[in-house]
Amino acid sequence: MNIGSTSRKRIVADTFAVLARWLLGAVFVYLGLSKALHPAEFLKLVRQYDLVQNSLPLNSIAAFLPWFEVFCGLLLLAGIAVRGTAVLLITMLVPFTVVVFRRALAIQAIQHIPFCAVKFDCGCGTGEVFICRKLLENFLLMAFACWLLAGYGRKWCIRYALR
Amino acid sequence: MVGCFCGPDGAGRQKVIVRGAGMAHADRRIHVNQPPEIATPGCRTPFGRVFLEALLVAAAGMLFAYAANRLSPRGLTLTRNYFPAGISRSAPVAGTVTGTNALMLSPVQLLAARLQEQGLQSVDGRRAAELFHDPRYRTGGIAFIDARDEQRYREGHIPGACEFDPYYPEKYFSTALPVCQAAEQIVVYCNGGDCDDSENAALMLRDVGIENRKLFIYTGGMPEWITNGLPVEVGPRNSANLHRTNK
Repeated sequence: MNIGSTSRKRIVADTFAVLARWLLGAVFVYLGLSKALHPAEFLKLVRQYDLVQNSLPLNSIAAFLPWFEVFCGLLLLAGIAVRGTAVLLITMLVPFTVVVFRRALAIQAIQHIPFCAVKFDCGCGTGEVFICRKLLENFLLMAFACWLLAGYGRKWCIRYALR
Repeated sequence: MVGCFCGPDGAGRQKVIVRGAGMAHADRRIHVNQPPEIATPGCRTPFGRVFLEALLVAAAGMLFAYAANRLSPRGLTLTRNYFPAGISRSAPVAGTVTGTNALMLSPVQLLAARLQEQGLQSVDGRRAAELFHDPRYRTGGIAFIDARDEQRYREGHIPGACEFDPYYPEKYFSTALPVCQAAEQIVVYCNGGDCDDSENAALMLRDVGIENRKLFIYTGGMPEWITNGLPVEVGPRNSANLHRTNK
């Protein structure tokens, strides 16, 4: 009885986790493609963050990151190397959220407006967005990625783990 | 009996304690997501396994990204400096305007100082309109260069302006260079405001031999041109599809 109840809960959680995996995958494919198809625009946005002062790393970020996101999104949609991909998404989302947050603070300091009224194109692939909404979205994506990392979302996978 | 089971999914289920052959199945179900009680030598930990998987995915992803960028017609050239005017946007203007003085200047003044530092000259909206109406513009003595992307250019540009997107210069050199070489004055513009594509385009033209004294940056750019109610050409260059914007 207890085992059956636990098993049912697990099945429900896993089904929702599969939906989360597909959603996460679709979001990354969409956002990646929207940047990959306009790399020059993305290059200009990456430059705004003043992360690097050299052409090669700047160009590499702008040229590779969008396609890398597309790749990770496709893996999640297909269910290949799910936990490894989840680790990479978290590795990308955490520093990205930090730099977006810092940039929003800088804009807030210049414009003297409430934090949540700060709106700018963060280079996320969705154009100009309000910072609070963007941070919320990022935390949600990170939560989904952590959920997958915890071992959920195994159903309908081509190859859940590589080994 | 205690054993090690490395399952095909490799995700935290690898080690299952089997207490007697009859209980093996039940134990696997119960302990399916619990941490292993005994770490058996030879079995990689779940953390190590996931980390290794992440590294493999990262390597494959980088190869995919590299290939996609190479094959894409809009792909970036990794070694090219797309911003000859400077990569950093926050760096203070060297020379005449620095430190706290830079903070006291308006964006237009800062832009003018930056252009001066690059040895470029700027024109305002009134001067740009004068050059546009100058008879020399009809004969090629004055040239307008649009440094925006192709889509924005097609949506509307200064009539007769030559397209030159500084992010894909090799695509436009063949048409823009003869126009620039023939002209005595070249007005380069983009989207105004904090857009510095016109500046980068002018520096690229200078690098291929266009004389510095000929190059002028229209700082107000296309938004100001439209605001001033001047004509706009839609579609390709010299399409004669003119629209007069409302002032």
